[in-house]
Amino acid sequence: MPFISKDWRSPGEEWVKTQEGWEKKKVLECTAQRYPALTNFNSSGDNQQKSWSQEGQVGEKTNDSGNRIPPHCHITIKCTREIAGFNGLSEAVRRLDFSSAVRDVRRFNYICALLELLLGGQKLTHLPGAAQKLLLSMLEQLADQVATSQQNLNALRALIVALSSLREAEKRACWGRPLGSRALWGHHDDAIARINRIASSIRIQEPGPEVVPKLHDLPEECIREILLRISDHRDLDAASGAWSVMAGVCSEQRVWRELVAHHYSPLQLQHVLKDAAEPTDWRDTFHRLRKLYGLREDTQYAETLSLCRHCKCLFWRSLGHPCIADQCPEYRERLREAGGPLAPHPVPPAAFLKFFSL
Amino acid sequence: MPNIKLQSSDNEVFAVDIEIAKCSVTIKTMLEDLGVDDEEEEVVPLPNVNSAILKKVIQWATYHKDDPPLPEDDENKEKRTDDISSWDADFLKVDQGTLFELILAANYLDIKGLLDVTCKTVANMIKGKTPDEIRKTFNIKNDFTAAEEDQVRKENEWCEEK
Repeated sequence: MPFISKDWRSPGEEWVKTQEGWEKKKVLECTAQRYPALTNFNSSGDNQQKSWSQEGQVGEKTNDSGNRIPPHCHITIKCTREIAGFNGLSEAVRRLDFSSAVRDVRRFNYICALLELLLGGQKLTHLPGAAQKLLLSMLEQLADQVATSQQNLNALRALIVALSSLREAEKRACWGRPLGSRALWGHHDDAIARINRIASSIRIQEPGPEVVPKLHDLPEECIREILLRISDHRDLDAASGAWSVMAGVCSEQRVWRELVAHHYSPLQLQHVLKDAAEPTDWRDTFHRLRKLYGLREDTQYAETLSLCRHCKCLFWRSLGHPCIADQCPEYRERLREAGGPLAPHPVPPAAFLKFFSL
Repeated sequence: MPNIKLQSSDNEVFAVDIEIAKCSVTIKTMLEDLGVDDEEEEVVPLPNVNSAILKKVIQWATYHKDDPPLPEDDENKEKRTDDISSWDADFLKVDQGTLFELILAANYLDIKGLLDVTCKTVANMIKGKTPDEIRKTFNIKNDFTAAEEDQVRKENEWCEEK
């Protein structure tokens, strides 16, 4: 890559070629285990680097082991126009290791919501080309994950509908052509075609006759346990449309009562009920509540990004991050005097996008 | 470490640490009710669980032996079907038959945590699918008449309209 530096004296960034294009080396170092080629560059490096490359060979199973630095990303909080340039979406996406998060059942829903926001608000087309490419390749991996796991089919369908409507709207944006580089749009169209192909070739695999027991061999109490864990009324409706036993369980008041308890507070319930002490039809009550208040969002993600209030660092809550409060004893001392460390702040998808100038 | 011997339906005997075996409420109450002595070499028969499944259950219980007990009234956690630890997710990458056998075993042995995580896994297989796709996933025959199907569809449409 050409020599690029902001003032003319510094040695500039080191760049590494990846599958998705060129990227700064310092960004890739956060997710080094995914790029074994990178660690080969400086094989004379320290032990940390060596252990990364070894882990990369073992595969994803060792992801949780302790000696790897968890993905994290320092961020400028107050995003004014002057400093907007310091928060790059594509850099954050890489540093926070979103592409392996797609394969993680705990983080999948968060990524889905994020992509939906980006596609739905037509924000994608306002992003830099590199970020567009990165997000499309993330979507492709997501489609691949859905195809192999055969789960979350409707999430993928919604994303694809949003993607094609976005492409349609962009078609005639500027003199009958999409705005921006023609080569880039050619690249995007290839990616979109690949994603559509993956989605349309998903066929649900039926378990063969040799696989026993089957779902219909389970007693009703086990079916009930399963259905009690579903938090979306549309899934309950689909389940009751599929099989008479599930329809029977879904018509029970208990299923809907627990759904109401999950999504709504007693105060909201009381507001809908007005004078009656106990609703007679919990399903009807649930739908009235839903039309009034919508569904709860904060409980939908098992894992959300969090913002550390000490070092202004974004990280995945269960993975943690290297924090100034842990590393610097002086700082910790001062913290204790000030009343103990602060809990990290959860960052839902919409709040995450606000950090960047989109 | 005191051990207890568990016998599967196909007569294989497993020696398990008593504290690990006690994560099953069924075994725990049995030991308490019978007052089995630690010294005695008693064999507990489990006629509803075969050896392959019992081995997996013991593997799960051994890994989770130091977990804090599940809070009784946390409804939110129960409904959050993606809240499966990565170890459990790997542990449950098995075929449907094994998964359902694990549910049956967890239900019979009354192991709340295992029942929770296995049911969540099945719930994830239901989520986001159409009735047809659900039937295909689990190889269920469509046992509705056309009239009944119409009825269900109408009811759901009524709920969806704003």
